[in-house]
Amino acid sequence: MSDVEATVFSIQQFSTEDGPGLRTTVFFKGCPMRCPWCHNPESIAPQPEVVWHGGRCLNDGGCVAVCPQGAVESGADGISVARGRCTGCGDCVAYCPASALEMHGTRMTAKDIHDRVVRDAAFYEESGGGVTLSGGEPLAQPAAALGLMRLLRESGIHVALDTCGVAGEGVLGEAVGLADLVLLDLKTANPANHEAWTGVALDRVDKAARLLTEAAVPLWVRTPVVPGYTATENEIAGVARFVAEALPHAERHDLLAYSNLCTAKYAQLGRPFALDGVPLLFPETMERLCEVARASGSMHARWSGPTRVAEAAAS
Amino acid sequence: MSVQVSPSSAEGLWRASAGLSERTRRLREEYFSFNTRAFRNEVMPFSTGKPWDCVFRYASWTIVPEMMLFLRAYEDSLAAAAKTVPLPESFWREPLIVRVALFFSEILRKHLPVDILEGELIVGAQFNVALSLCLNRHEARRRKKSAERFRAAVCAASDVGLGNCGAVPGHLIPDYPKVLRLGYRGIVEEAGEALAEESDPEKRDALRAFVIACKAGRALAARYAQVASQQAKACGGARAEELREVARLCGRVPWEPAATFHEALQSLWLAHMLVLTCESYPGAGVSFGRIDQYLYPYYEADLAAGRVTPDEARELLRCFWIKPNYAYDYQGRMGRNQGINSSFGQLITLSGCGPDGEDLTNDLTYLMLSVMEEMNLLEPKPNVRLHANTPDRLMREVCRLLARSQGAPFLLNFDETSMRALRSEGIPEADLWDYAPVGCLENTRQGDDRSGTVDVNFNLAKPVELALFQGKDLATGRQLGPRTADPEHMERWVDFEAAFRKQLSFCLRRLVELNNQADTVRAVYEPTPYLSALVGGCIENRRDITAGGARFNFITVEGVALATAADSLLAVRHLVFSEKRVSMAGLRSALEKNFEGEELLRQTLLNKAPKYGNDDETADAMARDITRWWSEEAASLTAPTTGRRYRAGYLSWNYGIAYAPLTAATPDGRPRGAYLSNGVAAVTGMDRHGPTAAARSVASIGPEAIPNGMSHTISLSPSLVCDEEHLEKLAGFLRGYARHGSTALQINMIGADTLRKAQQSPDQYPNLLVRVTGYNAYFTNLGREIQEEIIARESQRS
Repeated sequence: MSDVEATVFSIQQFSTEDGPGLRTTVFFKGCPMRCPWCHNPESIAPQPEVVWHGGRCLNDGGCVAVCPQGAVESGADGISVARGRCTGCGDCVAYCPASALEMHGTRMTAKDIHDRVVRDAAFYEESGGGVTLSGGEPLAQPAAALGLMRLLRESGIHVALDTCGVAGEGVLGEAVGLADLVLLDLKTANPANHEAWTGVALDRVDKAARLLTEAAVPLWVRTPVVPGYTATENEIAGVARFVAEALPHAERHDLLAYSNLCTAKYAQLGRPFALDGVPLLFPETMERLCEVARASGSMHARWSGPTRVAEAAAS
Repeated sequence: MSVQVSPSSAEGLWRASAGLSERTRRLREEYFSFNTRAFRNEVMPFSTGKPWDCVFRYASWTIVPEMMLFLRAYEDSLAAAAKTVPLPESFWREPLIVRVALFFSEILRKHLPVDILEGELIVGAQFNVALSLCLNRHEARRRKKSAERFRAAVCAASDVGLGNCGAVPGHLIPDYPKVLRLGYRGIVEEAGEALAEESDPEKRDALRAFVIACKAGRALAARYAQVASQQAKACGGARAEELREVARLCGRVPWEPAATFHEALQSLWLAHMLVLTCESYPGAGVSFGRIDQYLYPYYEADLAAGRVTPDEARELLRCFWIKPNYAYDYQGRMGRNQGINSSFGQLITLSGCGPDGEDLTNDLTYLMLSVMEEMNLLEPKPNVRLHANTPDRLMREVCRLLARSQGAPFLLNFDETSMRALRSEGIPEADLWDYAPVGCLENTRQGDDRSGTVDVNFNLAKPVELALFQGKDLATGRQLGPRTADPEHMERWVDFEAAFRKQLSFCLRRLVELNNQADTVRAVYEPTPYLSALVGGCIENRRDITAGGARFNFITVEGVALATAADSLLAVRHLVFSEKRVSMAGLRSALEKNFEGEELLRQTLLNKAPKYGNDDETADAMARDITRWWSEEAASLTAPTTGRRYRAGYLSWNYGIAYAPLTAATPDGRPRGAYLSNGVAAVTGMDRHGPTAAARSVASIGPEAIPNGMSHTISLSPSLVCDEEHLEKLAGFLRGYARHGSTALQINMIGADTLRKAQQSPDQYPNLLVRVTGYNAYFTNLGREIQEEIIARESQRS
């Protein structure tokens, strides 16, 4: 299994926000959900994607010339990549002297990933950390994800799985058996909203929740708090009740304030961002929603993430 | 580097504590009022009055390239301003080392002003002098010839960016515990016994000089006792009582052994202050060593006997704390922008392990950290020694202090790595645990070691330039190095490597030969008998420390620009020889043009070659190879006059700036003038995998090659330390760093100002990571509005 390849778009060392201690987070590419607020738009499509950073481009046209598919085009707005024709071969990225073209997504075997992340083992040991599989949805590439988890376990490294709960038959069960900690992303407990916002029925998350509870695997629940979507008392109360009833053993429930840092990434990928221009939440809002969550039964609710600073734009 | 954005509670800037006593608050305020206070410890030159006299030592300052132009002006103006000290005719019949001791004695007995500042509990105020070299006409003429030859040669070497050298004072730890234990009296007795059995005239002279110098210290203390008594009579109340106590103390120490904590601090300060005086040097690198260890018995005994309360001890420490800062007085009035601009590194060492790896942290360790925080001064600068058995409480305290600071209030020293490094230069196994750093992070033994830790500074990027251009300096066209093979005719990497190694060896030997001149001039003409009396080995060897009298004698060659050199060689190997993506002719032509019109090539060099600092074994091996090449050769060299052995270090101070314009464009994509890399850190912006990967890269260099230790600086986001959970993560990082990292680590917190700089110069900060839960982005890739928002958020925090 260790030679099974995965498409990974980032391996983040010294990661402090994806589980206990110091960690390395392995971001798998491809996700079954289509949340409009997604912070990592480059994580959604399963195939590698080339993006262009205009600020670095020297406009020498070499990338257009080297593309075997003729997918790289130079126009009035700079370089664009015809996604339909691009095969992700990476010739343009390898050429670009200025690193203005970047490939989101590299094929790596589970063994390669393991060998890379195991190098920080001393830091995991000393800090009580380890490796987190995140994405995208790591379980959308089940063979590689499970293979990596197995290798990490063999090396004695703490493994956290960050998942939206949606996976193929039997995959989640197997993954839970290999994980020391699961980070479950729970967006909303309202079936209609869940389907409308993520494109996936809540039932599937519900099923995952039951499986996690039965397995009694250590669990942290994470809920994005997004203006216009989940950032209402109603929504948060619903999620909190879901956690209290279906996931009673959750050790933590993190409410993650919406972040707009991804705006530039949407532009690079040539996709519209549904929340373009929407301001950050106020810290007071997060505080209140956190109280609502606790009052509704999610006793370990806490919040983090960027919030609005008064007069931010003026400085 | 990463900036994590999160809404933690805002921590205040690290500023002086509101909890300071009235006394220490006033002293502190007075200290900072450079332009209005009456008392100033500014340099006082003293001369024998002979027309050939000299009161300035070139080789003390030739490692400061910015000063080179002015060396003669300093020499002349100090000589012109010097006060003539009347001397008996018999003075001139004495040998040089005795004359120096007698002159020192005259100064301390009659000329050095004695000031006691209001409220002080530890006294000793005026110590900044330029003392006569006490040479006779004949000696002066010969010395001038040698010193002048050295000055011209070192300036020439520095002017083309090779590096610099000098016989630098300070940068050692005198045996202060011996002064506390035995007093000057004990040292004088020891020297006296040696004198009784010594028949060699030269050795007898040295011992006589040591005795004269220590007795002079006693005389100065007596003058302080006298002034304290007088002041006590003139004032009343509680202060009179304090001054009577000061008078009593100065009547005893440092001549007698210290009996109490207060006596120990008073003895320590006077003994230390006179080291600065005797070397005519404001104190850079004269370090205190493991002060929490050797002061603890006095503190403990006083507590047990009820002689002092913890609060009283704290107040005494505060009074002690401000004293080393007066070394900056000569910089204080240079204007708001040019004022005090770097610390002198009168280091104190806290915590650390014992002989069996056990932890030696004690109550004084914590008390001193607390005093450091509330006083908030540049000196004394603590180094905290961490190791496998560092207690969680100290680790938490260290992380908490880092979290509250903007720049790190202290450096962290890692015992296991430091001891491995020192083992390689032959420090006895049983003594390794008791090392301490001097200056910034340069590891030495305590009390008997002069390792000349900043004597030679070697620009490792210069041999890259010389290898590319057959030994020619690109700016002047002068043939500096050997005429190595023409790179354009090389077919294999090993040929280029051989050319680089030839130039590397040439540059190293040139600097070492130059430094041997400085070492000789100091050994022959500039003895410092007072310091010698305080350094182990000098009495036993009956030899002055400048002549190699200390038990351990090294001269450290500090490598500058390691990462710039490594990345440059990596680019040549990878892009020119392996991939053949870049031609040697094209590369050389671009470097000659300083990349003018060659941005495509420059970007290729920046982006398409492996870079040191990312835990990439192939790339890091280049830094290790370069290190081995020069450090092994350095270790084979010895200074002929003093027998001091050369050893390697990676403290690059600020030479990455000074030699930036004097080093041609380099194949790593750096144009002439852009800063060279610092210490063992990656080239700015080239370490893209965070602090753990950077730490492992640094560790891969191998501390065995670098006995002196290696400077490593990393930047962390304030949000990494925003709450207890994150402080624990930082502690975990430090414990991991102890296993894979440098001998010493400086941690800076990234503030709004750094983000602002990154916004303005994105090229310099391509790796600045902004991170929130489950998301990361490079700061420089974000749109301007979002950048503004992040900057505003960070501004609000501080």
